[in-house]
Amino acid sequence: MNSIKEFVSIEKGSDYYQKLLEELVRLNERLHAFSNINFSINSGFPFSAKDNLCVKGVETTASSKILDGYIPPYNATVVERLLNNEFSFIGKTNMDEFGFGSFGINAQEIARNPFDERYVAGGSSSGAAVATSILKYHVAIAESTGGSIATPASFCGVVGFTPTYSAISRYGLIDYSNSMDKIGIMARTAKDIKPVFDLIRGPDGYDSTTSDSSITSINKKKLIVIDQLLDLVDQRIRELFEKMLDKLNAKGYSIEHRSIDIIDASIASYYIIAMAEASTNLARYTGFKYGFKIEDFDKDYNEFFTEARAVFGEEAKRRILLGTFVRSANVKDKYYFKALKVRDMLSSRLEKILEEGFIILPVMPIPAPKIEDAKKLTPLQVYKMDALTIPPNLCGLPHIAFPYAYDNGLPLGAEVITSKFNDYAIIDFVEEWEEDFEYKFKYNIGEVK
Amino acid sequence: MKIGLEVHVSLPTKSKLFCSCSAKASEPNSAVCPICMGFPGAKPMLNEEALRFAVGIANALHCKINDRVSFVRKVYFYPDLPKSYQITQLYEPIGINGFVECCDGKRIGIRRIQLEEDAAKIIRGDDYTLLDFNRSGIPLVEIVTEPDIKSEDELRSFLTELTSILYYIGIDIEGELKTDLNISLADARVEVKNITGIRNLIDAARYEIQRQEKLIKSGAKVAQETRSYIEAKKETVGTREKETEEEYGFIPEPDLTSYDTTHMQRIKPIYASKIADEYAKAYNVDKKLIAELILFDKHALELIDATKDKHEMKHILNGIGLIKKYRKGEMKLEAFEKLLELIKEGGYIDEEILSKIEKGEKISTESLNIDLIKKEVRQLLTPSIKLDYRKNPKAINFIIGKITAKYKISPREVAEIVKKEISD
Repeated sequence: MNSIKEFVSIEKGSDYYQKLLEELVRLNERLHAFSNINFSINSGFPFSAKDNLCVKGVETTASSKILDGYIPPYNATVVERLLNNEFSFIGKTNMDEFGFGSFGINAQEIARNPFDERYVAGGSSSGAAVATSILKYHVAIAESTGGSIATPASFCGVVGFTPTYSAISRYGLIDYSNSMDKIGIMARTAKDIKPVFDLIRGPDGYDSTTSDSSITSINKKKLIVIDQLLDLVDQRIRELFEKMLDKLNAKGYSIEHRSIDIIDASIASYYIIAMAEASTNLARYTGFKYGFKIEDFDKDYNEFFTEARAVFGEEAKRRILLGTFVRSANVKDKYYFKALKVRDMLSSRLEKILEEGFIILPVMPIPAPKIEDAKKLTPLQVYKMDALTIPPNLCGLPHIAFPYAYDNGLPLGAEVITSKFNDYAIIDFVEEWEEDFEYKFKYNIGEVK
Repeated sequence: MKIGLEVHVSLPTKSKLFCSCSAKASEPNSAVCPICMGFPGAKPMLNEEALRFAVGIANALHCKINDRVSFVRKVYFYPDLPKSYQITQLYEPIGINGFVECCDGKRIGIRRIQLEEDAAKIIRGDDYTLLDFNRSGIPLVEIVTEPDIKSEDELRSFLTELTSILYYIGIDIEGELKTDLNISLADARVEVKNITGIRNLIDAARYEIQRQEKLIKSGAKVAQETRSYIEAKKETVGTREKETEEEYGFIPEPDLTSYDTTHMQRIKPIYASKIADEYAKAYNVDKKLIAELILFDKHALELIDATKDKHEMKHILNGIGLIKKYRKGEMKLEAFEKLLELIKEGGYIDEEILSKIEKGEKISTESLNIDLIKKEVRQLLTPSIKLDYRKNPKAINFIIGKITAKYKISPREVAEIVKKEISD
């Protein structure tokens, strides 16, 4: 039984939500999962929304100072669909500013790993993963551009589903990289994913890129490992991952190995496209219509905009600069258009492999680092950490992260990738995995004993 | 001399280009939404009606129309641009390589036609600036010509032809055209930006031609620069904009897909000037006379086309002239044919008679024989009445009374005839 059905069937006291909120507020002070908690929740199954999703009347900042105090006048389509279906909004979850980060440390408050607070929660949907890991009955609506669902899900020991690009409307999602942004779902088990996915997916009159393709579940009982990517992984993780493969093999899956000639170019391709698009998306924040505002109108507009835009965080500024550079006329062919070409080439390579079966990989090459260690990494070192999550994200392929081992007290996650619109197949795959693998959680806020 | 234009035409669609806000609101900032205000998270949805209009324009201007069209982001910072980028076209515009035939058969090349969104309207006061976002997201079609225009006359001719073609597509621009003018008499290209209206455009061009001629004659160099037109002074002045290639960092608009135009009907365009030409030749009337009547009047053209006996072209034109003079609305063909009969018989026609004809009231041609009435008025109009009339306008009343008693004609009409006779 999924926890949504279970939640309806359990006896809850009249002060259920109040007690839940009290406990949540206390824990949130330490873990910073939520940037905003909805204290008026008093019915329905709780869902949280990553802070880059617009919720009408609720401050929505995408963790950026430039959007301080911004209260959207409308709901994102996903939020609207959930609110119309017995789901209740419990709060906005913390994230890296505009989704720019892999560890959740580019935020105003850093979300902490619930298994050990010294460690990162992963990013950019850091708060969504922490919230899922600490709340017994809850689903998180998160978003991934290059790995922002799989990475934090893997570090926090929850299931993180990123659907096919275009399966879920992005209307009301504060854009990072429009051609790759995908709204997805985090839950404690795969069983909770499908009912939520079915509610929020499908065409939307407010997002031209949404698709009406039907979703399939084709499982060929073959798992394919991309060798060049597995080679990037820490020895310890590799051992545990291979153990899991043995287990899956025993369950009837054949394991095969492949390599992809241009896989090395995927990180560069991803960051060039993502930054180019991000630099245009962030151009609208100029400090005079919404969010952070400058009141001194005596300035020349250029000075005014420049002053306002100084409040972007460091990583946002870096991406604006690099993104503006790669789309400038004299280098556009060399960087931006070449990156698009690499994306097309990689997509066709991956689709071909995926005709045979699923691709399976660890999510991250390292276990969750300590917050202080993550802060010491150079931008390039951080970008390289995304090597395993970028290929499916760059190509818009559905993938799902799930816990497969616990090491040193911290969960480890693997990801399964499939062809476009075969989303059900990988959800079903993880449901099968869950049957004889017990997930661990340190907190169970909202549990009725 | 080389003149090239970038003409921006607002499309008369019901809603804006990328949202469902009305494109016709008047109260400032009353037709706005998260999409046309560029709020975080809002996404554009293409208005099919705008795409159809744009394809119609490209078709009428003989362009090669792209089967699939797409959009780009043009990034620059200005307070009237809510997203700090304009959604416009670059790689797959609506159409390319067309022409407008004007200036007695000469073709002015059309380089490209693209669909894009307008920015907000800036209203400047003494110590404040206001923004009206009603205009933000209004669909614009940009028509870029080749530098084929060689004189002020050709410019006029081109603009008349272009606006007439647009009129027959359903875009009545009423002088509200926004144009960038590129003009060079020597080597250096001078661009006069953001000229509003056709009259200003022609004035700006004339000023620039004279200014550049003077410079060249005096042996000075014409500087390559961007200028702006000052309407009050009827002159152009240099802006201090840098003369470097502007960097807009175009990228494909990832929130829109590409759009198929092949299913869009290519309606055969109406070239009213060409029709005027044909009729002028066929029925031996002045081309200008027909052109004047039909270039911006669909109804007039319909009446001419529908009239069976076109050999009476002079009468037809006369009739249309009367309709235009006395009434704004349309006239049914049946009534128009009756009107033509009256004209042929030399009957006197004015506003009242026109409305009688339309109502289907019987007008005896005898009673309206204007020559007969005039003759009678002349007989009644003695020198003493003429003199009396100088002191007392009522002196002619008895003539009016006599005539109206005999003929079916209004007192006012008779009074006019009498007055005309007196002043002659």
